[in-house]
Amino acid sequence: MESIRKNKLAITVFMLPAVILFAGIIIIPIIMSFIYSLQDWNGITEPKFIGFDNYIELFTSKSAGFPKTTLNALLLAVLSVFIQLPLSLALALMISKGIKGERFFMTVFFIPVLMSTVVIGQLWLKIYNPNYGVLNVLLDKIGLHSLAKTAWLAEPKTVLLAAFLPNLWQYVGYHMLLMYAGIKSVSPDVIEAAKIDGANEWQINTRIIIPLLKPVIKICVIFAVTGSLKTFDLIYVLTRGGPDHASEVPSTLMVNMTFDESRYGYGSAIAVMIIFLCFFFAILIKKGIKTEDYDEK
Amino acid sequence: MKIRRILSGIAAAALMAAVVTGCGPAASTDTSQTGSDPSSNAGNDAAKETTITLWSIATESDSFHTAYANAIKDFETSHPGVKVVHETFENESYKTKIKSAVAANELPDVFYTWAGGFSQPFVDSGKVLDLTSYYGNYKEDLSEAAVANITYDGKVYGSTIVTPVSAMWYNQKIFKENNLEAPATWDDFVNVCTTLKAAGVTPIATSAKDKWVLAMLHDGLTLKSVGPEKLQKTLLKQGGSYSDPDFLLSAQKIKELSDIGAFIDGAAALSNDEASAEFYAGKAAMYFTGSWMGGSIMTDAADPTDFSVAPIPVVNDKNAKLTDFMGGGADSLMVAASTKDADLSAEFAFEVTKGISKYAYLSGAGIPAWKVNYDDSTVPELTKKVTEYANSATSFTLWFDTLLESEDANEYLALLQKLYLGSITPEDFQKEMAAQLEK
Amino acid sequence: MKSKKINKVPVGAYVVLLIWTVLCVFPLYWMFTFSLKENAEIFGENVLGLPKNWMWSNYADAMRSGTLSTGLMRDSTILLGFKNSIIVSVFTIALTIVCALMACYALTRMEWRGRDTANNIFMLGLTLPIHAALLPVFLMLKSLRMLNSYQALIVPYAAFSLAMAIMIFGSFMVNIPKELEESACLDGCGTFGIFFRIILPLMKPAISTVIIFTFLQAWNELMFANIFNSEKRFSTLPVAINTFFGSYTTKWGPIGAALVIATFPTLFVYAFISRKIQESLIAGAIKG
Repeated sequence: MESIRKNKLAITVFMLPAVILFAGIIIIPIIMSFIYSLQDWNGITEPKFIGFDNYIELFTSKSAGFPKTTLNALLLAVLSVFIQLPLSLALALMISKGIKGERFFMTVFFIPVLMSTVVIGQLWLKIYNPNYGVLNVLLDKIGLHSLAKTAWLAEPKTVLLAAFLPNLWQYVGYHMLLMYAGIKSVSPDVIEAAKIDGANEWQINTRIIIPLLKPVIKICVIFAVTGSLKTFDLIYVLTRGGPDHASEVPSTLMVNMTFDESRYGYGSAIAVMIIFLCFFFAILIKKGIKTEDYDEK
Repeated sequence: MKIRRILSGIAAAALMAAVVTGCGPAASTDTSQTGSDPSSNAGNDAAKETTITLWSIATESDSFHTAYANAIKDFETSHPGVKVVHETFENESYKTKIKSAVAANELPDVFYTWAGGFSQPFVDSGKVLDLTSYYGNYKEDLSEAAVANITYDGKVYGSTIVTPVSAMWYNQKIFKENNLEAPATWDDFVNVCTTLKAAGVTPIATSAKDKWVLAMLHDGLTLKSVGPEKLQKTLLKQGGSYSDPDFLLSAQKIKELSDIGAFIDGAAALSNDEASAEFYAGKAAMYFTGSWMGGSIMTDAADPTDFSVAPIPVVNDKNAKLTDFMGGGADSLMVAASTKDADLSAEFAFEVTKGISKYAYLSGAGIPAWKVNYDDSTVPELTKKVTEYANSATSFTLWFDTLLESEDANEYLALLQKLYLGSITPEDFQKEMAAQLEK
Repeated sequence: MKSKKINKVPVGAYVVLLIWTVLCVFPLYWMFTFSLKENAEIFGENVLGLPKNWMWSNYADAMRSGTLSTGLMRDSTILLGFKNSIIVSVFTIALTIVCALMACYALTRMEWRGRDTANNIFMLGLTLPIHAALLPVFLMLKSLRMLNSYQALIVPYAAFSLAMAIMIFGSFMVNIPKELEESACLDGCGTFGIFFRIILPLMKPAISTVIIFTFLQAWNELMFANIFNSEKRFSTLPVAINTFFGSYTTKWGPIGAALVIATFPTLFVYAFISRKIQESLIAGAIKG
């Protein structure tokens, strides 16, 4: 068995395709982004090397407000981990045990993930519209007349949460599917044995399934956090980061700088910061949530 | 083996897909690596065909699409053996696409672009062709004023299609119901707004999310406070200064309008589509935007005869006249330096813009940049009216966000949004604009 | 063992499930109704209701787009986009699954120096914002003479899905007891034998999950598709739908119709594959 586990040829063969693909499309662009980030460059004409000036501007310029965009993204990450994931887990546990309509729920809960951002964005714009939006009509009906006048996406005070809510809602199904598949791969024998031992549903969930689900939960947390730090699509459709940067996240700022202002170097510096933050948190979570790794057995 | 079954299943699915959808001309997987030569798979006869590739934003839903198609057809008819491949892209994503294409030197023969600051880096990079010598042949039909914005360092780098101007579009039915006339001065304008407001009608629909819409109003008011000479000098950084007190005036006017509640609720979160829909539906009385709205009203408004157009009112009559306009030739075609046949591509750029100019005018989509030497009696009323304004204009100034280079333009729009929201004062706005332009 | 026993679920849970069902079905209903309206209704009073005037012509308009000049249905932007999206998605999925499964096996079940570092490096794939990769990948594809082809999309899509796929596979693979491999080893299986006969069959739910996620990403991606390919014959669905937007005016009805045409296949693919995950409860039972 040892020789099989350490078969050098097999390791090379197994790793090679992924390594080639990964190096070409992921690693090289990361390196190039770093090089661009040290330049004053409009993306077209000759670049000028300026050292770390872009990074210095990133943290000192008030008009762009990069630190604040990072805080916004971190807020989304926190909401995502502590609201979205528990909800996903609860839904996955509820539907994974052979209840009536399991397939129906499985399909339905995934619908928001399947829909294109254009549709989701337009829908929420209609929900939030100050003049004929669903939200304000509802608030008006239940008697909250003063609240019902709010232009949710136009007020700097409300826009951040209003723009995050659709994000949180849309990806519940995504994490639910991962967890559902994880629960499905738990051996039924284990559950059956626990039942014979007299464990109730709650005990089975908390003592058997969730511990076995830890590796899946860990990657859900990693996906949720890196996804939040990189979030772009829905925010862009809903608010473009505005009004006045109130709902700006690092990616919208990066796109704004890179493509609207043609400041490729500065945009790349933001990209490098996003990469760094994502990587930092991914490693932190990986180390933080201990799973029973193969080796430790 | 499982994996084999999966793979064969996938292959079968792909094959089926290709069959079901009728299998276009392209091979599915082996994909001839055509690079930049689109003619290689056309499968045409031995007859030598020259292909010109044109990129534009005239997608099929765009009001210019038919004009492009007709003009291209005309060109192909008069130039046997030339085939034009017209690839169209959506406006916003096209901006990213064209910048990337210049960066990677992957330009088509001829491409659509925006004059002024947007194309400046293209010219600097040397990847677009100087068309000055070709322009000589077309001078009679295309005035130097029309190509002024696409002229860099005295050299003409493109040919323009239309010369849009911005104007005040208004619902004359609502105006009539409230006994109002199109305002020519600032005081009249404020009076119109307060009267409408009192009557429960939203005076102005605008979008501060698509910031350029709000800029259409602010640009116009600035022109009407500062006057064309001073404005151009300042924006082109040729000796004017944004610290001039006249510049403060227009910023204050935006605040004043905001304070009297002249703007539609939640404009900061409305897109141009959403805001203009309110105007077309008669729920707001005025909309400040470019002459293209003439064409849109014909298709989108329930009753186009309810609508009319007027110049933006004068704020300071010492500096500006009613006949000064924001606008000018911005939509242009440029030729890539990498084109295989420079003469043909240049001829194509001029001939086809001439054609588009004509067809777009006839359909009401835009104000022609080229001389009108054909019967234009069928042009829709509103477009004709705004064209007359443009023809009698005493000056044209290109919009801030087109004239300025991207970085300045983007900062301007960001500051304007802040001004609209009230998070900065008009004084701060002026100060920060001056600082940005002096950078 | 058949676990077809229907479990009792408290009423409270059903209430939660039903509320969430409504929240999830609503966008589908909304998309469908807006595909049958005209701009005035979409942006006006009748945002949520059924169309006053059922504009089935929006669908005809959507399908007809692109055929104006030739009149041939095979030039239809939407149909062409549909075909291209299927080709790109299918090959992206295949490439992703093959590369990720193999790498994941080496990364989780085999022992070699630098394995942990390699594992961490692959996580970088989750960190790279797609916009930052745009220009570098564009230049790379250009130098490989791969622009304007299906590969121009398949290769980057697969690379961007790789990290996600490896991690999902990894989280499933660690739960496979190593006794299974050992007994297979005693039966005379080599590395490849263990991989194909023992590991793969147990990875079914994970493979189904990765198929779904990779498919979604390839099916919906717009930016790469818009920039790496400039010829209409390679345009994927998102690019095709994007051409429905005009510069200053947009007819939303046909866009709705096109989006319905683009979304329903994903729903079917998902329903089909998720069934595989569900069935794996029985199939995935480890027969030791």
